[in-house]
Amino acid sequence: MKRGSIRFKMGWNYRGIGASFAPMELDPREIVPQFWYNIIPDLPRPLPPPRDPPSAEFSRIDLLRDIMPEEVLRQQFTVERFVKIPEEVRERYINIGRPTPLLRAKKLEEKLGTPAKIYFKYEGATPTGSHKINAAIPQAYYAHNEGVPAVTTETGAGQWGTAVALSASMFGLRSSVFMVKVSYQQKPMRKTIMNLYGADVYPSPTELTEAGKRALARDPNHPGSLGVAMSEAVEYALKQRLKYLVGSVLDVVLLYQSVVGLETAQQLELIGEEPDVLIGCVGGGSNFGGFAFPFLGHGSKAKLIAVGPSEVPKFSSGKYEYDFPDEAGLLPMIKMLTLGRDYVPPPIYAGGLRYHGVAPSLSLLMQEGKVNWREYGEDEIFVAAKLFSEAQGIVPAPESAHAVKAVIDEAKSAQRNSERKTIVFNLSGHGLLDLSNYESMMKRFGG
Amino acid sequence: MRKLVVYNTLGFPNPSDFTAFIDGVRKAGADVLEVGLPPRYAKYDGPVIRRSHEIVAKFGDLSGNLGEVARRAEIPVVILTYLEDHIDHLDQFLDSLKKLNVEGVLFPDLLIDFTQQIDLVVSKVRAHGLKNVLFTSPSVPDSFIKRTGEITDMFLYYGVRPTTGVPIPVDVGALIRRVRNMVRSELVVGFGLSGDKDIVSALRAGADGIAVGTAVISELEKEGVTEGLKLVSYYRGVIDGV
Repeated sequence: MKRGSIRFKMGWNYRGIGASFAPMELDPREIVPQFWYNIIPDLPRPLPPPRDPPSAEFSRIDLLRDIMPEEVLRQQFTVERFVKIPEEVRERYINIGRPTPLLRAKKLEEKLGTPAKIYFKYEGATPTGSHKINAAIPQAYYAHNEGVPAVTTETGAGQWGTAVALSASMFGLRSSVFMVKVSYQQKPMRKTIMNLYGADVYPSPTELTEAGKRALARDPNHPGSLGVAMSEAVEYALKQRLKYLVGSVLDVVLLYQSVVGLETAQQLELIGEEPDVLIGCVGGGSNFGGFAFPFLGHGSKAKLIAVGPSEVPKFSSGKYEYDFPDEAGLLPMIKMLTLGRDYVPPPIYAGGLRYHGVAPSLSLLMQEGKVNWREYGEDEIFVAAKLFSEAQGIVPAPESAHAVKAVIDEAKSAQRNSERKTIVFNLSGHGLLDLSNYESMMKRFGG
Repeated sequence: MRKLVVYNTLGFPNPSDFTAFIDGVRKAGADVLEVGLPPRYAKYDGPVIRRSHEIVAKFGDLSGNLGEVARRAEIPVVILTYLEDHIDHLDQFLDSLKKLNVEGVLFPDLLIDFTQQIDLVVSKVRAHGLKNVLFTSPSVPDSFIKRTGEITDMFLYYGVRPTTGVPIPVDVGALIRRVRNMVRSELVVGFGLSGDKDIVSALRAGADGIAVGTAVISELEKEGVTEGLKLVSYYRGVIDGV
């Protein structure tokens, strides 16, 4: 897009004030893309497709037809580099405040004394507080178009569940959410928001499904996991004849999330910046993939860094192999970095990162060395989150704080090497509903 | 003329009916006969073809019948089998196929699971006097699709769905247009083409031929050889009518 096509209402030099721009000053239609971007045609080698396991008693691939909205499934398997965003979805994106701002973390730079410039895409600025809404809106829209009355899903930290609850209500659908029990207990306000949007919320494992009952039989105090909650939602969708909305991992979710990276690329271009480093945290991979893949596809030479928790060490200890995305094995197997579908992650502070696998396209890029990784523990990300909050005023979600920690490390390395590089990261969500976790961290690690 | 490639699993639904089927398949309108050897793990096959593997397993080792297949079919025979099962003794395997007058070989897992060995396998197939039928799919990136279009010998086989015989909704036309623009080789489309509408979309989007498998296997299983061959003729008619 030509710079001159932007309709500035005021004659400010946005570069001069250290922020890319204030969204209200621009026509959002100039920034919110018209097409989603799919990385598959641009991968360095073929992406292993989903498979049915050997000696399968039924086809899991066939089962997807029963649980997913038809158009979502079509987009998952009709690989095209660019997919048109329906106008109604684009309008909803704009209605929830897209484009989200790209901000410069000037005060963080000053605190660190780094010569690096640090920018962040602030996905916490959406009504549900994270990037998750980007993938929920199109899925709810397609479900609604197909005459589906209700949808269901799982949620870890509650971000995805909240996004589904809101998107469902936008299109007049009922929704039910299986929320990982430990998060349900740690973050009661998440349940309240989902209820407010009209969703029913169940702490998983539940007695509502066979998958839940099995988990409870193994351990009556099972803390829940994203894998178990996913199995419950899929089973519930099958039994209740609802549609299941997918929150991460599948290629189609990364496709929808590409709106984040496409906007960021546009916003950087407007201020004449080229990223040298791109950073995001990884639960299933949708925030990282959505943010970074459009740059990769555009031939950017930026270094990509995916960040995860050392408590769920899938980058350092995961195997690259076919595994089930859900604990019960109802979904087709996908080739990914995985700790094993029956891995029960410890009940850590960052519920959104408590998942055993990594999206297939991101796994492949990591195997090929195109994406670097870091793993950090709770004590480290707490220090980073506190520093960022003090400097910039935004409390990052504990998940996003992993990205912040990597940014700080990169900025410090730039300082040591006197490199004036540009670091851009995705602040995928705010942490205002994670305050009990932060309170616990302050008690343990000191405020 | 556009190609009709017909698949059957070796020995299905039973050895004598299988022979009757290959005797009639050319006359029914097939241009190429694709014969599947049941693998240890049919990674990209749906329930119908997987069941055909189980059924023929009852008849024991049927590989001795392969020699007869090429002779009786009177059309080129391509063997479809997973490379995983043969990679450790590939030369020996290819040698045995050549002796049986097979024309080509198709390994659906070559691009995905043996990415580093594509050139080696392709040259070995040629060195044994056989032709390659490269298999590509939507999750294959553009750079590889272009390459497979250049190195395939008989035609490029494009499987448009993730598994055979499962009618996952896809936009067949869009998938084919993407590949058509990148390759000059003959393009045969298969893998879960469900019904006439898919076939017509595929041909209109630029496919040079169609491969049918699951529907034929189903018909053979339920209705027998005569009806199976009638279905082949029907597909010939659909293709010629476009």
